[in-house]
Parts: sequence; structure tokens; C-alpha cells
Amino acid sequence: MTNQELWQTVLAQIQFSVSRANFATWFKNTKIYSKKSGEVIIYVENSFSKEWLANKYSSLILKILRSLEKDIKSIKFLVNSEKKPSLNIQVSQKEEKIESPQLILKELTVDQKTNLNPCYTFENFVVGRFNELTQAAAWAISENPGFVYNPLFIYGGVGLGKTHLLQATGNRITKLFPQKKVKYILCERFVSGMVNAIKEHKIANFKKELKEVDVLIMDDVQFFAGKEKSQEEFYHIYNLLHQSQKQIILSSDRSPKSIPALEERLKSRFEGGMIADISIPDYETRIAILKTKCEEKDIELNSEVLEYVSSNIRTNIREMEGALNRLIFFKKINNKNPDLEIAKKLLGNLINIPRKKTTSKKIIQTINEFYDLNKEEILLSTRRKEIVRPRQIAMYLLREELNESFPSIGRKFNGKDHTTAMYSCIKIAKEIKENDELLSEINLIRQKLYSGLIEEK
Amino acid sequence: MELEILKEKLNQSLIIIEQLIRKNINLPILNNILLEVEKNFLKISATNLETSIIWWILAKVKEEGKVTIPASFLRSLIGFIKQEKIKLKSEKNNLILEADNQITQIQGSNIEDFPIIPKISKEDFVEIEAERLNQGLSQVINIPSFSQIKPEISGIYFSFKKDELKLVSTDSFRLAEKTINLPQKIKKNFSFIFPQLATKNLINILSLKPDNLKIYFSPNQVLFEWLGEETDYPNIHFSSRLIEGEFPNYQEIIPKKYTAEIILNREDFQNQIKKAGLFSGKISEVKLTVIPKENRIKIFSQSVDIGKNEAYLPAKIEAKDDKELETSFNYRFLIDGLSNIRGSEVIFSLSDSEGPATIKPVGDKSYIYVLMPIKMS
Repeated sequence: MTNQELWQTVLAQIQFSVSRANFATWFKNTKIYSKKSGEVIIYVENSFSKEWLANKYSSLILKILRSLEKDIKSIKFLVNSEKKPSLNIQVSQKEEKIESPQLILKELTVDQKTNLNPCYTFENFVVGRFNELTQAAAWAISENPGFVYNPLFIYGGVGLGKTHLLQATGNRITKLFPQKKVKYILCERFVSGMVNAIKEHKIANFKKELKEVDVLIMDDVQFFAGKEKSQEEFYHIYNLLHQSQKQIILSSDRSPKSIPALEERLKSRFEGGMIADISIPDYETRIAILKTKCEEKDIELNSEVLEYVSSNIRTNIREMEGALNRLIFFKKINNKNPDLEIAKKLLGNLINIPRKKTTSKKIIQTINEFYDLNKEEILLSTRRKEIVRPRQIAMYLLREELNESFPSIGRKFNGKDHTTAMYSCIKIAKEIKENDELLSEINLIRQKLYSGLIEEK
Repeated sequence: MELEILKEKLNQSLIIIEQLIRKNINLPILNNILLEVEKNFLKISATNLETSIIWWILAKVKEEGKVTIPASFLRSLIGFIKQEKIKLKSEKNNLILEADNQITQIQGSNIEDFPIIPKISKEDFVEIEAERLNQGLSQVINIPSFSQIKPEISGIYFSFKKDELKLVSTDSFRLAEKTINLPQKIKKNFSFIFPQLATKNLINILSLKPDNLKIYFSPNQVLFEWLGEETDYPNIHFSSRLIEGEFPNYQEIIPKKYTAEIILNREDFQNQIKKAGLFSGKISEVKLTVIPKENRIKIFSQSVDIGKNEAYLPAKIEAKDDKELETSFNYRFLIDGLSNIRGSEVIFSLSDSEGPATIKPVGDKSYIYVLMPIKMS
């Protein structure tokens, strides 16, 4: 007889000698936890049940147990401290629906152990051509963490759903494999956590915590750039996890190759598994995303408005969501659905930001940031490789984005000849056609350039 | 059981005990109290299976025994008695009450059905001043809201560390933290999440019994003990099951840097917010604008159906620059924070229009109230 059957038999007999109210109160959620060398340990719901059963029913229970299995000699009651399975993610999603303008303390919605936010799931992740490969890889990992693509490296621009995908993967793993320890950590948090741990001499503890996980998810690893000590510590943690078949998932706003000041050994490790990118969604997908979000937030917008939003906000899903929130807010206050006219008025300052030509200063600044160069370095006449390439890209972008003349481009770079500028532009233009990586790199720079404009407003 | 007891003492205990009793359809015996003789005391016990109370009252005991009867019935009956001294007697399951030339009999239940209140091992404890604890708890008690999804924030978090006790509560929109100094350093740090309803019961007892008390810890229960005034025998044992789970790492929520810090007269600020609240409409939004150049803040609210309100308050402002800063809040959350503060002036600090703001009393570092703004329309 299994423990479960044994306990069922006991309950079946006891119910006749106890009043129904007492039976329902005290025997609720009881079960046999273990049966070892004659001692049976019974799990009870709370300490009241424990006292009650131990004082009033232990001899009766023991008698019944012995009549079923002779070698049982004693029983013991323990308060069950296991988490009750009442936590239902489905419920929490419903609550998310009640979108109010009141902001919440974000740190409180995340799960304490995993750091994951339960509202990111695969179900509310819209798949399109721009992300289907990445989504499929993440899905495959969640089915079989540690054994398919390890590590998975996801990169793509701001607000395209990297974090959503990472968290959804983590959430699905915790659902399918509840015993696996999942940890989501922002690279920035890792670095500042390291700094604190060093300060308080607790570095061993800090590392131990990460070494014990089964799935490590790290967001925004580009922040490792230039932080050598953190890189080194992460390298060791990484190796340990990877060797013991633990899943690692990373994200960044650019491919591992283009992360500046990242140690070679880390770079090559990041590239060792699967690299997947998320590009910019096409028009149809943008509409599909908007529709999903509308459904989530329980609002109906006519197709004109949806088309207006998705044809005007192209490069950033988060911005699209921001626009949608404004419309919802309008509906909440005025109790009517915004039509196209109102939508235009409401979203005017979000959309009609003059996407005018950027400035040459801005381009150079963005390139500096992207390649982690000093202000003046790029303008120097040097042939160092790490500077030549960014300089060529800068010239190319000046030409492409601002349509500047070659002589004027040359002048900006410490009085170089116009032929140098011409050569650079032609070279990059040619290379883009052959080298996809360069293309995506330049696209990322472009995105940075223009999304930066929006933030400045 | 047969004994004589002072009516006032009995009445006092029943008022508190009654507040703890919750209706339970499955187990009607939980509406009852258990009366029993223990040495020279009448011992009264009650429980709702989460929180329990045991109360000892000095009595002239003639005969031992016990009886269990409905709590509210006994309490209403005692309200009619004028005499100081009353006589309690048990007869089988019933209680006989004699006073003022009158005899009443209250139908009781089988004492065997009364739940057994679990004992707590008395190993680790701290001593604490009741008045401070009472004051601290009343500053954080009203914040949590009942939540089945996140039970760990539905209670009050007690964290004992060295010589400090921190009381924290949150409902994910705002958070309050109160720090109380302990009379002596404790040996072992300890923390637990205490249910909100039980905390309300606790506050009631604290208001009645301003004497110092001891708190005993065990892994899933906590016991508060008051000793008697006359003897060293315990007077009240108040215990509760704890909320399982880990309280969020709330320290990260409290902003470290602010863009503006504003000192305001608390009463004026509170009144203006209340007034603005009248105009705030469905989403309770009140817009605050900090104007560093003019050393004042603007309080603005409007709703389509009611009208609008604009008011200015003088303020001492320390801001990064002269830029005006606009943030919207739920006026109720502002008032909740302000009314938890006693001092005449408060520091109201803003981080940015979508980041947390804080309210603190001037010159008192022991209390901080963090609240999130409303997304501006």
C-alpha cells in the first residue's frame, strides 16, 4: 500500500468517529509525509491541527494504522511548511489587466527568488518575421534547459522585446521544471552587487549564490564593457555553470563582437552557443502587436487609429505601448473611444518629433559611445585599427544621413583630404552588402542616433 | 469551577477578546471562550485558529474546573451588572453567574471541542516598550491591502536587528518604514511577517496595557507576553501564526537621490491636499508643481463634472536647478502618509515624475513614507 492509500484508509475509518465539522477542520490537507522504521510522520496544515490531532486522535490513528500495517510503532505530527500550490499565475495576469495610471513600486512585482516578473509570458509575446527565430530558440530552451542552445545570446535594439523574451523563457522554465533554480539578473545589478560584495568582504557569498542556479539569465551584458574585475568573476561563474550543463541566456543591444572592451575569452564564449537577433518589426507585425496589447488592456480601438500608430512609430515597441497607454488614459477620463482626430492630437508630440536630420556632432558622439572611444580619438589622424573603422563608419553616416559634401567631411576629421572621405564611404557601402554583421551594427547605431533624439525632446 | 472576580477586570478582557473572534461556519465553537481555573487565576482563552489570546485574571478560587460559552453573550450580559464583584460557577457544560441578587445561567458547549492553543517555546525573546511599539505600529498598520496573490505583503514586516526594530508595510503603491530603538541589543537578528488583522488586535491590547512586554519568536508563530501588575504571573499571552514567505527586499525602493526636497507645514499641506481631493474626480489625481524660483508649490486638480481647484503653498525648496517640476499623485495616498506624521513640518522629496517620492517628518529620521505617482495625463 502506498502512503497515500494508507492515509486514505485511515481517513475513511476516522470520519465515522469524528463530527463532520471537526473532521473538515482538523483533517483538512493532512497526509503521510514519510514512513520509516516503524515511525509514521504525518503532515498537518497548522499548529492547531497538530495540537488537536496529537492530543485527541493520536491513539486512534495509531490503532488504525497498526491494523493495516503491523510494523508501525509510533506516529508523529509535523506542520507542513511546503508552499501551498494556490499561487496561480493565471490570476495574477487578470489583475494586471486593471490598468490604472497609478504607478507601482516595480521591485515588488518581481518574484523574490528568481527576480522574474510573472506578467512576461510567451502567450503575450507576439511573433513575427523579425523575431521568430529567436522566439523559437528561447522556446526550445524552455523545453529542455541546458541541452539545446547554450548559451543563447539575444541581441537587438531598444524596446523590441529582449527582456520580455528572456523573462518569458525564465517563467516557462519555472513552470515546467519547478525544482530548477532560475535567476534573472541585470548586468548592471551584477556589477553593483559585485562592488558591494567586495566592499563588505562577502564576495564568496555573492558568487556562491549565482553558482547554485540551474538557469542564469543576464540582461544587458553590454554593461560589462570596461569592467574588468566583474568580467573576470563572471567568466569563472560562467565556466562553472556551463560545464555542469546549466542553461545560460544573455542579452545585449549589440552582437558580442561589437561590445567594446569585452575580454576575448568572454566574447568567444558568448558566441559559442546560439546568437539570435531581434530586428525591427514590419508593419503587419506592429499592428498585430497593438491588437494583442489592446486585448490585454481591454480596450477597442478602430483600425484607423491602429494604423496611424503603427505607421508612425516604427522602431520601438515600448514607444508604441506608451502611445497606446495615452489613448487608454483618454478613454478612462472621457469614457469614449478616441477616434483618429483625437489620436492625432493626443500622440502629436510623441510622433511628430521632427525626425529631422541629425547633426554631425550627434553622429560622432553616438559613434564614440558605441565604440567606447574618447572624444578626441576619432578625430586624430591615426591608423590604429580600432579607430580607423569607427572613423570610416562615421564618415559614411555623415554622408548618408546628412548628405554632407566629401570635402566638408574631410575637414571635420582633422583636415583630411576629400578623397579619404570618399574612399571610406565607398568602402563601407560596399562592405555592407557583403557583411551582414556590419549592416546590423550600423543599423543599431542609426537606431541609437534617432532614439536618442526622442529622449532629448 | 467556582470563583469570585472583579467585574471590571473581566469586562476589560472580554472587550479585547471579542475583537479577535471571527465567525466560523464550520466550527461554531470558535465563537466561544474557554474559562478555566489555574492556581489563583481565572484563565480565559479564545482563538480564531490564526490568532489566539489567553488572559489571566486574579480571582478568589473556591473550586477548580472549566467551561466554554459564547464570548459575545457573556460580554453583553456583564454590561448590565452594576456590582463590582461577581461569582462564576460551572454546572456541567453551563456557566452560572451570580450578582446583584440575580442568577443567570448560560448554556455552554462541550469543553472537549474547544481547540488546543499551541504552545510556543520560550527561548528567544526581546523586551520592548509597549508605547513605542503601539505608536510605531499605528504609523504603518493602514497600508497593506489584502492580497491572495502576494500574501507576503499583506502583513506587517517586523525586523529585529542589533538594537533596532523596523516595522514595514506596503501595498505595492506605497511603503512605510518605522524604526524603533530597542532598550538593549539582541543576540540574534530575527524577522517575521505578522498578519494585518492580528496587528490590529495587538494595537488594541497595547492601548489598554501600556506596560512593557516580551516578544517570543518561533519559526511559524510569535507570542507577545505581558506580566501581571500584581504578580509575576503572565497576564496576557497574545500569539499568532505568521505569514509564510519572504518580505520583498524593500530597501532598494527607498530612493537615495532626489531632484527636489521641499519643506512644508504639515497641516496646511494636508488641508490643501484634502481640498484638492474634492475636485480630483475618478482617478483621485492631484497635480503638484514645484516652483523653485518662487519658493512655493502649486496644487492643482480638476474633473470634468465638478470643476477645478488651484492653490499655492509657501515652501522651502532645495532643487537641482530652477526648473519647475510637475508630478501627479493619488491624493488619498498623500493624506495617508501625512496623517501618519505628528510633527509640524514635513520634508516632501521627489525623484522624477514617474519615480517614487517620499514624505518624512522634519528632524525625525525614524519614519519614512514612500509613494508612487500617477502617470500624468
